[in-house]
Amino acid sequence: MAIGVESNRRFVIAAIIVVFFVAVIFKLFYIQVINKSYKFSADNNVLRYITQYPARGLIFDRYGNPLVVNKPVYDILMVKKQVQSFDTVEFASLLGLTVEQVREAFVLAQKQKGYSPRKAVVLLKQIPPESFARFQEKIYKFHGFEVQPRTVRSYNMPIAAHLFGYVGEVDETVIKSDPYYQQADYIGISGIECSYEKYLRGKKGVKIFMVDVHNRIKASYEQGRYDSVAVPGKSITSTIDAKLQEYGERLMQNKIGSIVAIEPRTGEVLAMISSPSYNPELLVGRDRAANFRSLQQDTLKPIFNRSIMALYPPGSTFKVVNALIGLQEGVLTPETRYSCHGGYTVGRGVGCHIHPSPTNLIQSIQVSCNTYYCYVFRNIIDKKEFGSVENGFSVWKRHVESFGYGNKLNIDLPHELKGIVPSVAFYNKYFRKGGWNSLTIISLAIGQGELSVTPLQMANLASIIANRGYYITPHVVKKIEGLSIDTIYRERHTTTIDPKYFVYIIEGMDLAVNGAPGSGSTARIAALPDIKICGKTGTAQNPHGADHSVFFAFAPKDDPKIAISVYVENAGFGATWAAPIASLMIEKYLKDSISRPFLEQYVLQGNLLDRRAKKK
Amino acid sequence: MGVLFERYLKGDRVIWLLVMFLFFASLLLIYSSSSSLAFRYHDGNTSYFLIKQAAFLLMGFAIIWFVHLVHYNIWSGLSNLLLGLSIPLLGFTLLFGRNLNAASRWLEIPGLGITIQSSDFAKIALVIYVAKVLSQRQKEIKDFNQLFIPLILPIGLICALILPANFSTAALLGLTCWLMMLVGRVNLKYLLGYSGLGLLLVGLFIVAALHFNFGGRAQTWVNRIENFVSNDEKNDGNYQLEQSKIAIATGGIIGKGPGRSTQRNFLPHPYSDFIYAIIIEEYGVFGGVVIMIFYLILLYRAGLLVKRATRTFPAFLAFGLALLLTLQAFVNMAVATGVIPVTGQPLPLVSLGGSSLMFSSLAIGIILSVSRHQGKKELFEGEEVPVEEAKEKI
Ligand SMILES: [Zn+2]
Repeated sequence: MAIGVESNRRFVIAAIIVVFFVAVIFKLFYIQVINKSYKFSADNNVLRYITQYPARGLIFDRYGNPLVVNKPVYDILMVKKQVQSFDTVEFASLLGLTVEQVREAFVLAQKQKGYSPRKAVVLLKQIPPESFARFQEKIYKFHGFEVQPRTVRSYNMPIAAHLFGYVGEVDETVIKSDPYYQQADYIGISGIECSYEKYLRGKKGVKIFMVDVHNRIKASYEQGRYDSVAVPGKSITSTIDAKLQEYGERLMQNKIGSIVAIEPRTGEVLAMISSPSYNPELLVGRDRAANFRSLQQDTLKPIFNRSIMALYPPGSTFKVVNALIGLQEGVLTPETRYSCHGGYTVGRGVGCHIHPSPTNLIQSIQVSCNTYYCYVFRNIIDKKEFGSVENGFSVWKRHVESFGYGNKLNIDLPHELKGIVPSVAFYNKYFRKGGWNSLTIISLAIGQGELSVTPLQMANLASIIANRGYYITPHVVKKIEGLSIDTIYRERHTTTIDPKYFVYIIEGMDLAVNGAPGSGSTARIAALPDIKICGKTGTAQNPHGADHSVFFAFAPKDDPKIAISVYVENAGFGATWAAPIASLMIEKYLKDSISRPFLEQYVLQGNLLDRRAKKK
Repeated sequence: MGVLFERYLKGDRVIWLLVMFLFFASLLLIYSSSSSLAFRYHDGNTSYFLIKQAAFLLMGFAIIWFVHLVHYNIWSGLSNLLLGLSIPLLGFTLLFGRNLNAASRWLEIPGLGITIQSSDFAKIALVIYVAKVLSQRQKEIKDFNQLFIPLILPIGLICALILPANFSTAALLGLTCWLMMLVGRVNLKYLLGYSGLGLLLVGLFIVAALHFNFGGRAQTWVNRIENFVSNDEKNDGNYQLEQSKIAIATGGIIGKGPGRSTQRNFLPHPYSDFIYAIIIEEYGVFGGVVIMIFYLILLYRAGLLVKRATRTFPAFLAFGLALLLTLQAFVNMAVATGVIPVTGQPLPLVSLGGSSLMFSSLAIGIILSVSRHQGKKELFEGEEVPVEEAKEKI
């Protein structure tokens, strides 16, 4: 009695229904269980959060002069859905851009992550106030555009780029690891901006609005009950002396290297110069990316902070460390004399220059005798009581490390390197166990070989000697608005050497600068008539080219106010460039005037960049 | 016999229950999902839409009631007239009624306060017509030429008239008619041949539309106004789908609860095209599956009518109409979940709106009428062939 549909035809209908049914069920499962992304976007929908960006904290020099400040810029946002036809040429020219730039910005804006035609997305970043003022007068002509005021850095003096560091937009990895940051936030990337980011950044605020289906703002959410205002970042007083820093940068013009000056009593860094440098203003604003790229491609590496990241052999400056260890271990007395006739002749030998001979300890520092320190070094390592070379070396290494070598000093700047002090294990591997002795590693006697230090560690050594046996961790920040700095920047670190031995070293360094003519003093060029500078030259052999010119010093002798190290790459003897530069810096800092214009002129006119080029 | 008669008068009780349930669900959902609409047009007075929809549902119920009392044979008699009426109606909307919702699908009937979608009317008319022709021509069903003029030509014409304004409705209707013919024993070879031809024509239309830009949709920007302000049209669909998926994702298994939808504020048509997303957001996958199963039950009940039918016309009619509603429901669900591209199909009997609801109610009324009269053995002269006879011919 039934009409009856052939079963295969019935099957077709059933199949169509089943396909729909299964597809919808599968899609539901997929959206709910497999793809999590939709759940996250739900919250952003009902309300629109408008971030209130705080101004970053200012940075002052040690005397309270503002160095790093803020200037307003404007990000132009667009809600694509509300953008109506407009005159692109006028739009671009008001903003001081080309039509191509605007076009490109439109394309890029729509490619950015989380783009939606109904959301306000950043179209153009960091429009300067002058252009923005022009644009604002005509903004009524352009529908669908909004403005987000921001602040970026501005520099009152074009100095200390490495020290301040720069600010940029956060990247994906930061956003993932730190919930504070969101896309388009700024963050300190290097220097003080990076290490004190937590204080400088302030606290973002937010305004919450309710939006309709077209993402248009309807009203403040709950009368603004959940809004928060932006809290500006804390201002920071750095330890830097702006005038000294600027002067140092001028002296280092056309030279490669570094100057670090520290106040020994406090560990405060007075100046930190890495040359070549760059104008910090270059890494601000719309051209930042392009400028950064060209700085990065520069073969002289201007972005690289040599003060804490370059590793140099300490050279002859290291003799004072060996002398102190010798005294402490009792293998050396101030009266110990060794004669020198052109070098140390045991083994492969170590050459020396011509100077009066024999010398006692103080004279050995004054004339920087290599031979003397070969004896001293071997006497330490081979000291009977140690029983073996390995033990002797370990004792020596422990002493060396107490000077802050081979480890980070923990300055309050990112990316500090720790330098190299070789280990027993290293030599056992390099030679073989038992295959080395004090003679094999004799280069360490004069600060060559497997040793390397940063200019900061070198300045810290000057600080240790000035303090007669201790240092305070060097730091670049003196005060944080309303907060005290980390206590690690107040603690004394004492070396393993008895303070009584330092006096001989100081005498030697005094004579090296202030010795009588003809006495063999190595750094007479650094001498000042009314300030007693104690210093020591170094000429660091460098496998890649000409020797580096090194000098470290402190002054005045009896009440040290400044400890300094100067490295000038490929510049030859320590006395040629490094010593005069250090001397000028000391005079500038202590007297704020220069009594030797001829010396200043000599340094300012010195161009050592072509020397480097020739070497290549 | 009297008791039996009484029961047949009421029609299929399951379908009655289904309809009542769906109407109730509609009321709840419209109240919740129209809040954004109310926000925009009636100062946030959400009960405005609740009352309006309640009135619509009452009207729909009345239509079902009256229609189910009417003997289904009346539709057989009216079928030519209805089909004849729908052709100029579609043509008229295609040409003039083009303002509302951008596509030319709506026709306002003055005085009633209801905008009638002419394609809703045409859909029902065509299904009735096809059911009639199929039942009348069971004898000649194997003949290619006999089929073309009375069957293929009207189907093609109606679908072609709907197509420019509403592709998905045309496709839905075409598929429904195709399945009716399949059930109606049209030779599979012809059926496949015609559908191939149909698809070819649709393909040509699409190519031509893209090529010549007719309909005035894509204009060329002549001045220096750049194209980056013009391509919003295609982003729109993505946005709706995105929001719909957010609704589904946050609904979970049992949903947020009645009236708790937040996505209703972000879906441009939460009360019609994307109501299924709101169902899942508020009632979870559970609610979504229940709704889906209800439409399947409707189709199943119609299938039972076919199975028990002693005559072909009511069987084809009830099945065709049930198919039309079920397929439309599935298209709505498939759009909301992103199975198929965004296209505007309301959820029959649930979505807000007069036109869809009125004609869906009409369809339900006719199905109930068929179920009510099932078992009566009247035979009208020349109108249809008894089942036994038809069976022998296959
Ligand atoms: Zn010597």
